[in-house]
Amino acid sequence: MRFATVAVAIARKDLMSEWRTRELVPALAQFVVLALVIANFGFQIDSHNASAIAPGVLWLALVFAGLIAFGRAFAAEREQATLEAMLMTGAQPAAIFAGKALAAGLLLVVCEAVLLPALGLLFGVDVSAGLVGAVLLATIGMAALGCLFAAMVAQLRARELLLPLLTLPLWIPFIVAGGQAVQSAMGGSGAFDQAVKLLLDFDILFVVLTSLAARFVLDD
Amino acid sequence: MSALVAERLSHWFGSDPALDSVDLLVDRGDHVAILGENGAGKTTLLRILATAIRPSSGKLEIMGLDALRERRRLRGRIGYVAHTPGLYPALTAAENLAFFCDLRGADRERVPEMLDLAGLSQVARKRASELSRGMQQRLAIARAVMHDPLLLILDEPDASLDAEGPELLVRVMKDRTTVLATHDQALATRLCQRTVVLRRGRVFGAGSRLRVVQ
Repeated sequence: MRFATVAVAIARKDLMSEWRTRELVPALAQFVVLALVIANFGFQIDSHNASAIAPGVLWLALVFAGLIAFGRAFAAEREQATLEAMLMTGAQPAAIFAGKALAAGLLLVVCEAVLLPALGLLFGVDVSAGLVGAVLLATIGMAALGCLFAAMVAQLRARELLLPLLTLPLWIPFIVAGGQAVQSAMGGSGAFDQAVKLLLDFDILFVVLTSLAARFVLDD
Repeated sequence: MSALVAERLSHWFGSDPALDSVDLLVDRGDHVAILGENGAGKTTLLRILATAIRPSSGKLEIMGLDALRERRRLRGRIGYVAHTPGLYPALTAAENLAFFCDLRGADRERVPEMLDLAGLSQVARKRASELSRGMQQRLAIARAVMHDPLLLILDEPDASLDAEGPELLVRVMKDRTTVLATHDQALATRLCQRTVVLRRGRVFGAGSRLRVVQ
């Protein structure tokens, strides 16, 4: 109960701060739309190749938007010395981590709400419920991993460089399974159900592992 | 009975010793001032006492609990004002306190009382970023006592406070064991019964306030 109260309080605080400052989401939304526009021109999209190229472009935009969103999650706390203030309350580090990951994940979902319609518009692909579900599932695991590494590198000067180096290799399972699910949802080849189950397995695995590691990363 | 017993506390940053075999004994209800020039190790010592960092070596017992093993439990009984206020700039003064109430499991109804204690009732709805540095410090002090801690650790709490600042410190330190770091000897003399002087990470002198100041 206390775990949930702390996690929700932290997520609410982060979302409220973002709503008031609008530092992250507008910039991220512009970034993902620009990425799609550039890809649209660069790949010479037509009705034959759109469904083959769109999943790759979607995941590229999502991965880089995620790196920015998760990187900011702990950098601001360290800069303001507020992470220590939170830890000094005696709150569980895993609950603090869960709240931060929840907020960062929700901010990425807001960007996805811009990204997916833009993808449908620019690439002429059908944004189905299956596609949205696969992206949301991948976001959960990516948020957990991204926030853990963001917390690890937040104190380092080279954090902008280190975060992608640490995070991207571990995001590959989400990109592979997510890419397969999205391609299948867009009418391409591949088993949608199998890819979604794989995403779910990865989510459970990484949410559990990152929650266990959070204490050592945040407090020790 | 002792509130805090530190034995041979040492801490290194790389190969540089920040603290070197510091012993400290604080009785319940005592107010102890830690004095020393910049880089003497005051902040490192206070961060260890507040359980924010672990010492490289040594023993620390707070309220009868091993502070190195029972950190989370102790944090519920310690109030800590760090060197920087550690507030959320986009949240108002009241929202900052309410947020930390949620994290501590404390009653949000204490927020107006704490704002009143810190003399911040008038600016309760102002964002922390709009408050002066002194007001931010007052808010940080109010946050440190909102859960009624038994032990108060204050790292230069007088920084940026106005002339009425020491009165606030007197109010929050009343009936609480306090360890306070400051550069201000006059403040140390006024607020604390005992003084410990650190120099280059070692205890250079300790005793009653009058003797050390002399």
